[in-house]
Amino acid sequence: MQIYLPIAEISVNIFLILGMGGGVGFLSGLFGVGGGFLMTPLLIFIGIPPAVAVATEANQIVASSISGVLAHWKRGNVDFKMGSMLLIGGVVGSTFGVWLFTYLKTLGQIDLVIQLSYVVFLGVIGGLMLIESINAMRRSKTSKPKRKHHNFLHALPFKMRFRRSKLYVSALLPIGIGLLVGVLSAIMGVGGGFVMVPAMIYLLGMPTAVVVGTSLFQIIFVTANVTVLQSVNNFSVDVVLAVLLLVGAVIGAQFGAKAGAKLKGEELRILLAIMVLGVCVKIALDLTLTPDDIYVLGNTGGH
Amino acid sequence: MLRYFCLLSLTLFGFISGPAVAPAVAMDLDVDLSKPDVRLNVSFKGAELLLFGAKDAAGDVIVVVRGPQQNKSVRLREKIAGVWVSTDEVIFGNAPAYYALASSRPIYEILPAAVMKSERIGTDHLDLQIKAKPDGATQQTIQDFTDGLVRIMIRKDLYTNEAGVIELVGKKLFRTDLWFPANVSVGEYTVNTYLIANGVVETKKTSHIQVHKVGIEARVYNFAHEQALIYGILAVIIAVISGWTANAIFKKRA
Repeated sequence: MQIYLPIAEISVNIFLILGMGGGVGFLSGLFGVGGGFLMTPLLIFIGIPPAVAVATEANQIVASSISGVLAHWKRGNVDFKMGSMLLIGGVVGSTFGVWLFTYLKTLGQIDLVIQLSYVVFLGVIGGLMLIESINAMRRSKTSKPKRKHHNFLHALPFKMRFRRSKLYVSALLPIGIGLLVGVLSAIMGVGGGFVMVPAMIYLLGMPTAVVVGTSLFQIIFVTANVTVLQSVNNFSVDVVLAVLLLVGAVIGAQFGAKAGAKLKGEELRILLAIMVLGVCVKIALDLTLTPDDIYVLGNTGGH
Repeated sequence: MLRYFCLLSLTLFGFISGPAVAPAVAMDLDVDLSKPDVRLNVSFKGAELLLFGAKDAAGDVIVVVRGPQQNKSVRLREKIAGVWVSTDEVIFGNAPAYYALASSRPIYEILPAAVMKSERIGTDHLDLQIKAKPDGATQQTIQDFTDGLVRIMIRKDLYTNEAGVIELVGKKLFRTDLWFPANVSVGEYTVNTYLIANGVVETKKTSHIQVHKVGIEARVYNFAHEQALIYGILAVIIAVISGWTANAIFKKRA
């Protein structure tokens, strides 16, 4: 069954979109990532214009994150205080990111920057996570996990107590992470969960159970902001597409969150790492394999 | 110039045929479409329009459909340090968003190349205006970019380089199907119908097709453009409600 999308201006199969929403929603509930880094390339692959894909995906992530965060909240796995600190950084970072995006667009190299950021960040994070979680699995079989080591990050000022996360760290840390993730999410058109989740686990040392809910909490606000900004600046949010995606995604996210509760932290991280690396390899191939045509349509900024 | 040639050839033709032939009058051509517009509604997945007409003389018919003019940027991709990077850019100012061609016989048998060029018939003769080009671009460079654009648009099913078929019914009637794929742009499309005899354009008729959004599609599109802030906020509210509802449903079932 085909449906014509009013903003994307193409005709798509309803069940394909519902299925994509469901699949990505499942993964987002499972890993606490918005799923944007999977869905945005998928949407572009089926022919949605990139600008519409990025903006509409932000809108859909709002829905799946809310659905996910409520499920985690019920189990007490959202650290609102930590989330708020991340959010402060996120707002500042994404504002700067939007400015950077516009600047790179005038240089005409935004596509390359987006693709290279995907490869670099997905590659580094996926690789580190894979190595770390395999080591963690080995350790857990032989001995008790080692204590969190102290480093210079713990010497920073403005210390704050985060009860839910059982942490006493500088507020500058979560703000800094939020800042970095905000910049990335504006440039790469993603919620940023795939960067934030590992950062919270490895840099902050937060318990995995709390990380997912807290990450989703922050993503809600960042993507809601992006949705409104994109609507106003680029008219590129397609609500019809977003509704189709989110119907699939909110249902998928519920199943994902349930499945996630049955898996161990390390297993979850290995699966996420493999998926992140898969997307990384796909984009790296797109960049290096000889294209069908050496001429491509550029960005003329509307008709 | 072309008109002059037409007239000249007609006059010559008249002289050769002798006094029995009436004074040279432009041959008549009538053209109509099965529908005056293409409506983009929820179930739109491309549309076929029937173009039909009648001519009062022997000769071939060519139909050219052009979509609204758009700025199109075409970039060259080059491999730098192992990575394909977009480099040189050419911006075309008046590229048609859609270009289709149909003829009653293979087009090169009907028209000499010079006439095709002057009448801008065929994707080789789009006569594109160059708004921006790289420094030191040669004629050949521009031609390569133009060919690149045509290839891209053909892959998107928006241009056709092979002419469609115009069926001749008897000596006077003709018909052809025009296909508008699901990714057509909105705007006014121009349909030029040519009556060709002896390699010369005898008569040309121009008609128009409106491609526009209707119903919910039009309302959503207009709302998104006219009330962008409210549209954005509503989009977020829809997302929030959907997420909440899904969670509430699953809580009850759990």
